[in-house]
Amino acid sequence: MKKALSTLLVTTVMASALAACGSNNTNTANDASSNEAAEGKQKVVAWAWDPSFNGKALNIAAELYEQEHPGFELEVVDMAKTDLEQRLNTNLAAGVSEGLPDIILVNDPNIQKYVNSYPGTFAEFTNSNVDFSQFSQYKVDALTVDEKIYGIPFDIGVTGLFYRSDILAEAGYSAEDLENITWDEYIEIGKVVKEKTGKYMSTINPNDEAWTSILLQSGGSWYITPDNKGNFVNNPVMTETLRLYKAISDSGIAKPVTGWSEFVGSFNAGDVATVVSGVWQIASIMDAADQKGQWAVAPTPRLNIEGGVNASNEGGSSWFVLDGSANKELAMDFLGSTIGGSSEFYERFLTEAGGVGSYIPAFSSEAYQQTSEFFGNQAIYADFTEWSTQVPGISLGMYTQEAKDALKNELPNILNGADLEKSLANIQKLFEQQVQ
Amino acid sequence: MKKSSLIGWQFILLPSALIMLFSFYPMIQSFILSFESGKGNVSEFVGLGNYTRLLSDPIFRQALFNTILYLIIQVPIMLFLGLIIAHLLNAPKLKFKGFYRTAIFLPCVTSLVSYSILFKSIFAVDGIFNKLLLNMHIINEPIAWLMDPVWARVVIILAITWRWTGYNMIFYLSAMQNIDPSIYEAASIDGASKLRQFFSITIPMVKPIILFTAIISTNGTLQLFDEVVNITNGGPGNSTMTISQYIYNLSFVYTPNFGYAATVSYAIVIIVAILAFLQMKVGGDKK
Repeated sequence: MKKALSTLLVTTVMASALAACGSNNTNTANDASSNEAAEGKQKVVAWAWDPSFNGKALNIAAELYEQEHPGFELEVVDMAKTDLEQRLNTNLAAGVSEGLPDIILVNDPNIQKYVNSYPGTFAEFTNSNVDFSQFSQYKVDALTVDEKIYGIPFDIGVTGLFYRSDILAEAGYSAEDLENITWDEYIEIGKVVKEKTGKYMSTINPNDEAWTSILLQSGGSWYITPDNKGNFVNNPVMTETLRLYKAISDSGIAKPVTGWSEFVGSFNAGDVATVVSGVWQIASIMDAADQKGQWAVAPTPRLNIEGGVNASNEGGSSWFVLDGSANKELAMDFLGSTIGGSSEFYERFLTEAGGVGSYIPAFSSEAYQQTSEFFGNQAIYADFTEWSTQVPGISLGMYTQEAKDALKNELPNILNGADLEKSLANIQKLFEQQVQ
Repeated sequence: MKKSSLIGWQFILLPSALIMLFSFYPMIQSFILSFESGKGNVSEFVGLGNYTRLLSDPIFRQALFNTILYLIIQVPIMLFLGLIIAHLLNAPKLKFKGFYRTAIFLPCVTSLVSYSILFKSIFAVDGIFNKLLLNMHIINEPIAWLMDPVWARVVIILAITWRWTGYNMIFYLSAMQNIDPSIYEAASIDGASKLRQFFSITIPMVKPIILFTAIISTNGTLQLFDEVVNITNGGPGNSTMTISQYIYNLSFVYTPNFGYAATVSYAIVIIVAILAFLQMKVGGDKK
């Protein structure tokens, strides 16, 4: 009995292992043969994260493109953002191009890094039929390296101050009180909100540099200068940003969170009264169906210094085409005629995926003028696109991540009251060490 | 005679070729890589430049400090705990032995990422652990475990210990079961207490296994990556970052500098080699 059982177990394990091996083989065989067939059949492979947003956008674009080009086929491979970055880096470093797709999604801060680390990998769109003047300038700036444009701008992360109108009303504030405020005013309002309603004004996560990024860009600055030097010393925007960071942390109006899910959970559960984030946060905010009608959006608070505006950006990505791909022209034409210039695409992208693009002609379409019941019948997309025209264009440089990490290293000291000038000098030194 | 040794060599030939190809060749290649520096595919030979950079790199020093801290604190605690639990489970008259052994070994088969994420949510500011402490009135305000440099390290050490104690315990248990019970009887007759028996009989007889698990654990802890990245991501402010995470950052997060990353990984190789040598010297058989 025992022997029969163990034989059965061994056979099952081996069979499943062989089946797994077998199916892998057939998969790669299928891919190879479909690639050959693809040449004739017009197929394009794309890598992207977030299938319900980015993947959806590509599928909408494919539907539109197929109308003019029957026989066109698109395959979207979904993988996590960090996985995609790892695979891309590994393949490019090893010089192996077989596993790479035709189209790839790239987060804007990574653009210069990839273009400079792997020269000749990405196709140039500079002389293509895409009219880049129709896109938000700061998005095109991010794609330009040495006067060559490397991809097609995709979604923007124009920021806004999302707030709970009911909580703010309870504390005695109306929509006008939140229009075009400075961060110092924001902190004062936050203190009153905490006192009168007991709710935190926002969250704070010392491990996440989203907030400092938003503030820096709103002042037209960044962690690094356009020629990739550290921008921590002699930079009034940076000094003011960190001063405010400490002020918010000290004021007690911010709820400490340690990760993304805690962050989202905070506003979904109604623990915080505001969220300063990119327009793509709308999807997560709307997850709390019971808060319908209680949210509204105001312009991002500004830095109280020269050059500070009530507009900024968080995140955003672009579509790149790999120069070595067999279907390069097809991929470029596909992207260029849909995401690169079709107003219909952007309207569908907004209505079906809640995505806001940077294509200016689409901003005046009906879809972008709609009002949202969830946000108290405010025409939120019209507001966001209006603010997107005011976002200062900056150069994201190559060493953003190193600079952010150098800042994160010193952040606990700053929060504990260390001298700001000295801390900034330390960060600058640390950054210069990292960039060799 | 000659024919059988020829067959013997033929058997060894294939695995040796595979080891050379997949282990030694990459080792040599990465050693050569450690002398290059640059961004991505644009790199050039810099001789010992990477190694001099390594010696004055403050982030590497922080990562090294953290990793060695985990090593010194976590490995002895875990091995000692494993020994004690194995000894307890070795008691002849214990009921439900199978259940205890399975329960203590079970953490070892969990996925590294899953349990790290669970630990992260348990020790979150509004996580279960804080709620427990608040309800028991031990604290008044929730502690931000993962945002304090010291407590974040404690959480990581706790997580690793939870996961790997069972693994080492199994090794010790099987070694202890090879000890003849008559030795213990003789010791009891001679009047030795249980504690004395543990330190004078059990531990010396299990010494080769202790040495083995010490080296394996040292090796594993020096290469710690999954828990750190998933629970704290190196934070707050690099206070929990390990060397492996630094290598990952250098390759995939920052502008890729594969040459310098290879240099840092050779730093781990050197440390592991030195520690293994020391451990064998201290605990090995004197030949």
